[in-house]
Amino acid sequence: MIIPVRCFTCGKVVGSAFPAFVEKTRQGENPAQVLDALGLKRYCCRRMILSHAELIDEVLPFG
Amino acid sequence: MKIKVLSAAPEAMRLLIEETEPAYANALRRVLVADVPKMAIEDVEFHLGPIRAEDGKEYESVSPLFDEMIAHRLGLIPIPTDLGLYNRREGCPNCHGEGCPNCTIIYSVNKRGPGLVTSADLEPIGDAKLRPADQKIPIVKLGDGQAMLVYATAILGDGKDHAKWQSTHGVGYRYYPILKAGTKTLDALDPEVPFCESHMQSTATEEEETLELASDCKTCKKFMDLYKVESVKAGNDPTRIVMEFETDGSLSTKAVLVAALDILAKRFSETATQASALA
Repeated sequence: MIIPVRCFTCGKVVGSAFPAFVEKTRQGENPAQVLDALGLKRYCCRRMILSHAELIDEVLPFG
Repeated sequence: MKIKVLSAAPEAMRLLIEETEPAYANALRRVLVADVPKMAIEDVEFHLGPIRAEDGKEYESVSPLFDEMIAHRLGLIPIPTDLGLYNRREGCPNCHGEGCPNCTIIYSVNKRGPGLVTSADLEPIGDAKLRPADQKIPIVKLGDGQAMLVYATAILGDGKDHAKWQSTHGVGYRYYPILKAGTKTLDALDPEVPFCESHMQSTATEEEETLELASDCKTCKKFMDLYKVESVKAGNDPTRIVMEFETDGSLSTKAVLVAALDILAKRFSETATQASALA
């Protein structure tokens, strides 16, 4: 739906990293390096970004 | 007990605790996770019904997420906290739980669609320093004709009650590893030493065990070439503990650590007073 504010497992704030991640990987940067640069070093936080499906635009008209 | 700070950034810290026992490190870990208070949004009031803009256009106060979801997301946003300034609302000496600048922060969000509502749209009523440090957290996305008018109240709480009041995350500790190559004792956490996390770690705490190195492992190979050995003696020193933790940006790592140690000291002295009253 929309990126969770925090990592489900450890509680680190991951919401703000998602727009930056999408922007940089679209420009062709290596996803692993982008995640490292965003400070997401644990795999619990990394999966929050990697496995996220942004579907908020699909439900937007039904608000 | 001696504490040495190995590295400190505003949001991450690594400490070496010496002349200690695992129980002390665990007490500190538990206090860091559950007992250091911080501010977080607790009450959220949503404006219902139409919202009229200055230009006369009418918006509906609806959004793609349920109000409960938005309130929850607002709660998780880190709010800058000054532990010296804020009191718990129920025990606030100024207002006795009514809500005052020493125990509550009120935020407003007034946003009209289309567009993304982020943590930057949280406007504190009062001091501009109370804006969330992270300004890029998405809260909700609004469509055309949708708007959001919200008042949110932040209060002091601790991690025992809800994860939104947890001031640290990634809190963990390990025994200082003992590493011996032949007769030479090495510092396993020295960046100069190629310490292999997969093949040089032991779970032994009483005495060292001998571990064979893997020649097909890059780090082990480097180690073997450097010290000309086929095996290492590895163990753990439970009197020296390496601890690390991060904060979410509400408090600095230094403030969190000082607050945690204060809480521990207070608790131990209370226990000591009560115990001495028994005898």
